[in-house]
Amino acid sequence: MDAVTYPDTAVADFIMRAVIPLRIPANSEPLATDFTLRWTPTLILLDVNGKEHSRTVGFIAPEEFVPTILLGIAKIYFDLGQYDKTISNLELIVNNYAQSFAAPEAIYYRAVCGVKVAHDIAGLKKGYEKLAKDYPQSEWTKRALPYRLL
Amino acid sequence: MASSILWETDIDKAVTHAKSDNKPILLDFFDAG
Repeated sequence: MDAVTYPDTAVADFIMRAVIPLRIPANSEPLATDFTLRWTPTLILLDVNGKEHSRTVGFIAPEEFVPTILLGIAKIYFDLGQYDKTISNLELIVNNYAQSFAAPEAIYYRAVCGVKVAHDIAGLKKGYEKLAKDYPQSEWTKRALPYRLL
Repeated sequence: MASSILWETDIDKAVTHAKSDNKPILLDFFDAG
């Protein structure tokens, strides 16, 4: 991450704009134990109270970094029931990072938010159809499979 | 335009900044070698 991803200007600009960046050595206690750290790099998204909502383990390439963290941010707001903020972050991924690993999951959660906000059941089927068309091999397409019947 | 990342190193300070800026925290556990 230090050699490739963090020196990337787009990554650094995004981090400074979108999150409070916090770096802790993996051998730092009690935090390593408190967060059940087992491997590095581990990136964890915390809400403003320091509560964990998602994490990733392993190297993230520069082109995947922004959509990966946007998805983590979206999951914070989803957990907090702040669906407007969830949707805005998910749509950034869908619209600007369609080729990223995060995109299929973003489409899935975007459809779910449609149900949460507007009881848009038909949107679940549309979400599945988009996943099946654009990301047929994604696990998120398989997870959305039941929605084809709606 | 930021050219480098200014990392916070204290979780309590990070939480304080997160609350004041209303931003989530990105916690990076790294191998210090």
